[in-house]
Amino acid sequence: MMTAVFPAAQDTPAARAGVSAPLRRSPPATGMDPGAPHPPVVRLSGICKAFGPTRANDGIDLMVAPGEVLGLVGGNGAGKSTLMRVLCGVTRADAGSLQIRGVDIAPDLYDTALAQAGGIRIVHQELSLCDNLSVAENFFLEAPEAARALPGWRRIFRARARAALDEVFPDHGISVDARVAHLAIGQRQMVEIARAVATPQVRLVILDEPTSSLGLERSRQLRAFIKARTREGLAFIFISHKLQEVVDIAHRVLVLRNGRSVWSGPAVEASVEALVQAMGGPAEGVMLSRRAARPAIGEGARERVRLSGALIAPLGRDVVLRAGEVVGLAGLEGSGQRDLLHALHGRPGSGISRAGKASFVSGDRQKEGVFPLWSVLANIALGRLESRAPLGRVDDGQERDAARAAAEKLKLDPARFDSPILDLSGGNQQKALVARALVGEAETILFDDPTRGVDVAAKEDFYALIGSVARAGRLVIWHSTEDIEFLECDRVLVFSGGRIVRELVGTAITEKAIVDASFAGTGALERDATAGARGPLDRLVDLAPFASLAAVFALMAWVNPLTVSMFGLELLLGPAIALVLVALAQMFVVGGSEIDLGVGAFAGLVNVLSATLLFDTPWLGVAALLASVLAYGLIGATIQLRRIPAIVVTLGASFIWLGLGYTLQPTPGGAAPEWLSAAFAWTLADVPATLILIAVAAIIALAIDRSPFGVVLRGFGNNAQAMTLGGWSPLRYAILRYMLASLFALAAGLSLTAINTASDINAGGPFTLISVAAVVMGGCALIGGMISPLGVVAGALTLALVGALLGALGVSTDYNAAVQGCLLLSMLALRALADRREARR
Amino acid sequence: MTALMERLERHRWVWSALGVLLLWAVLAITTGRFSLHSLSGVAISASFLTLVALGQMLVVTTGRGNIDLSIASVLTLSAYASIVVAAGSDARLPLALAAVLGIGLVTGLANALLVVVLRIPAIIATLATGYILATATLIANRWAAGFSMSPFLKTLAAGRVEGVPLMLVIALIAVALAGLLLGRTVYGRRLSAVGQNERAAALAGIRTGRVVTGAFLASALLAALTGMLLGAYVGGAFLEMGQPYLLQSLGAVVLGGSLIFGGSSTALGTLCGSFLLILIVTTMQIAGLPAGTQDIVQGLVVIAVLALAGGRAVRRRRAAPKPEAVAP
Repeated sequence: MMTAVFPAAQDTPAARAGVSAPLRRSPPATGMDPGAPHPPVVRLSGICKAFGPTRANDGIDLMVAPGEVLGLVGGNGAGKSTLMRVLCGVTRADAGSLQIRGVDIAPDLYDTALAQAGGIRIVHQELSLCDNLSVAENFFLEAPEAARALPGWRRIFRARARAALDEVFPDHGISVDARVAHLAIGQRQMVEIARAVATPQVRLVILDEPTSSLGLERSRQLRAFIKARTREGLAFIFISHKLQEVVDIAHRVLVLRNGRSVWSGPAVEASVEALVQAMGGPAEGVMLSRRAARPAIGEGARERVRLSGALIAPLGRDVVLRAGEVVGLAGLEGSGQRDLLHALHGRPGSGISRAGKASFVSGDRQKEGVFPLWSVLANIALGRLESRAPLGRVDDGQERDAARAAAEKLKLDPARFDSPILDLSGGNQQKALVARALVGEAETILFDDPTRGVDVAAKEDFYALIGSVARAGRLVIWHSTEDIEFLECDRVLVFSGGRIVRELVGTAITEKAIVDASFAGTGALERDATAGARGPLDRLVDLAPFASLAAVFALMAWVNPLTVSMFGLELLLGPAIALVLVALAQMFVVGGSEIDLGVGAFAGLVNVLSATLLFDTPWLGVAALLASVLAYGLIGATIQLRRIPAIVVTLGASFIWLGLGYTLQPTPGGAAPEWLSAAFAWTLADVPATLILIAVAAIIALAIDRSPFGVVLRGFGNNAQAMTLGGWSPLRYAILRYMLASLFALAAGLSLTAINTASDINAGGPFTLISVAAVVMGGCALIGGMISPLGVVAGALTLALVGALLGALGVSTDYNAAVQGCLLLSMLALRALADRREARR
Repeated sequence: MTALMERLERHRWVWSALGVLLLWAVLAITTGRFSLHSLSGVAISASFLTLVALGQMLVVTTGRGNIDLSIASVLTLSAYASIVVAAGSDARLPLALAAVLGIGLVTGLANALLVVVLRIPAIIATLATGYILATATLIANRWAAGFSMSPFLKTLAAGRVEGVPLMLVIALIAVALAGLLLGRTVYGRRLSAVGQNERAAALAGIRTGRVVTGAFLASALLAALTGMLLGAYVGGAFLEMGQPYLLQSLGAVVLGGSLIFGGSSTALGTLCGSFLLILIVTTMQIAGLPAGTQDIVQGLVVIAVLALAGGRAVRRRRAAPKPEAVAP
């Protein structure tokens, strides 16, 4: 039935021949003989994994031979993803054994690093690229072995990325230097696939829904590539909802259902119908008859939602959704279905209008649904709070009654109302979320892929409920990623490229019709092939820190012409070296999406240490400074290991630094070691040392940022989860990040001692806020992952000049703090507005 | 046993209450002269801290690591403002109160605007507003000629009823109200929901911006009122008077068992946390530790408690059945 999706199906007989060849060629590989010449790439036996009450995997066996494509299918929540996580070393199985290329691996030792060493790579459905990095840098993260900390180290990865993309997706049109954030979703998926297969030594590639965002041609290219590579012995596990695709490409198929393997055999023996039946998925007939059994919608049903404007341009007429209907939103993933749901939930506008209230039920329960600290009852009862006065009283008894009524409809046991919501299985959690929508008074219920990760029985309960909820007078709008679910709908709107391209009603709703319509405009998915090119406006934003430095400098020169002389420069910018260094320290912390509130105090402590201990007993001073760097690493470790907010820990740490400083030296004093003063007091061709050192610091920071190490740090700042899955140790890099920051802060403290030739524990305090201001001004994003050393240096110098400028203009120093605060806020506000405009674009 | 653990898990304030009792007992035994009178000194200090910490607690409850760092400056500026405006007379007290509430209102709204509308991280936004207020304080410092208090305010801050400090009564009432707000009202539920999962809260129809704004307003207002009372209590205002409350307010919240991630807070715990922290400081003072060491100990206590509590929250979340988090 879905063959129409793949016009390439005419080459199926040939493909089949190719398909069975490896199976015939190496029959022992499928047997159980470990001494066979080609041991299986991996073999899992009896894998069990439970999450609370949910048995996600219950004694599953899986084996993949070299050059084999294993199709893995199962409905949402069947346990596929858990099994793959076990296979990739992300999740540890409760029981079962594991063999890689014939070698037994102890399950407790198995982790992501071992899986990678075994040549196993996975392409996640939820994309795991760092979108602040370029395509080539993402290739580096996947296989960093070839990287050297030398200029030009990217070359090898750019070549590798280009070769891989060319091989898998000819005419891809993706620039390897483009930032991933600038790529369309389909292009990201292509990069991710190419990255996995290009890894040296790769033996097994797991493709989890690889074609969910790919157009027709790209899917075909991928399948052609898989066939070519299997001939060279590369093995694949192919996971897809598109069963025809699986039957076409796989040699063998394994079907999972509720955590158990229910069918396994050669693909030639499998048909789409047989697979559907084995999966226990919703049977077409049942769904159709359930829909037919619903009473007809009344003629005068009230209009709830009207869609018009650009969204429905391909249809050429407004779409009106009425009370009592079940309306499906179909199409390839990311074609605009979710955008419509969110627009309907939030403030409708621009061609979308809604009457009455709407409630939202997401299938992404962890991120968008449950409140993890609450009981089931509290989670449900939240739905009744809407539109109540803030100081109204919450009554447990009333809530319980209302929730009970909703739970009964959903077959959710009220006895579980007092359990924490997370103790429930995925299916029951989802029922609680649906109950939350039901206890509210919303006339429209929006479902966003509600059966994601839900077991078969709970799905059936859900399907049965949908119709009755709608016919009781509500409008149900339902976005699903499983096309078969649309058979439950009265009407389906098919999206493509952000527009509604088809409207299917009643018996016209078939999977084939939906799929055909989905592909109608898939060119749009890759339309922005030139993405990644930076416009002149972006470059202008990059130049902002330098432009403002120039502006402030010009103003300063105008107020006091002496500024332009070398002497004036030294006088003005020399003392700024401490601020520059603290700002660079802060920058590396901000790059990890954290903020260090103790960095100023730490510089103050180093100031005290170097003017007292280091002066009196040099060896003790050096030891103390080393210990302080280690202490910073410890802070990084504490934050990472205990997962506590960096700001609170560093705020606490700032008191420790201050306290240590006071204890060492209660009042300002001390003296600078001679060598230290000398280190900041030379000149080179009449340029004073401080200015040169500022430039050196900038270059060092830039070199670190551009090095492989810097790329890893930025990767963690952007997508720590993906980095961890990729085998990078978050602990090690948290420690290194904080130690790196502490080295810059240490240099700042030393420069304070050298320039002031004395110490004051309070000298560093004010730097904390200014350093954040400099980092923001320099063009770094506080959410992490985007840093710019030269911009930060320019920002720090600008802020130092602003202080001097105020002094030159005769403004009292009392106003310094306020001016700095206002500057920081206005910069952040401007950035926020600019970001918002970009998002709108 | 597990039932007991669950109960402790739900009533996290118990730990800080135990800490208070233990430390008090140790102090009483070791010094031998830890009288009820000296305890009431602790109670007054702790009451001021409790008021500030309750506001901090509401901000922390909003989650995402939100913290109000402008508290110290609000407190100091309000102390100055009340002294300058009231100028020692009860008749001008309403004016002073208006000025103080105005400071709290403006600061709270400014913080909320920056955090909610401009999406600036709370810590940066409040740090910056704190700096701006610090300048205002410097200016107020030049104006503040004398240190005469309004007598009524003085009574309120330093008076006693039957030997019980009035401040303690005020703090206990505030704790009770905050407890009711968190546990029994629609706002409390919404606040907890926003703190646990802001995205889910927004999708559940909660206007998260308003909820967060309410928390920042409450925090600034409480800090402002505390500043007025503290000024009356110590008989003047000085530039550094708010400084200790920055870390201590946060310390009291975490010690009390509120989750630093937000979503779950306890007013009673914050009260106990305040007492515990003040007792720790008092102990250090009695032991004659220098100011520097006191800072170090306070910093260590906050980090240590966080490190322990952080682990607890992580375990809770890890216990989650998570297959669907990754299922297709």
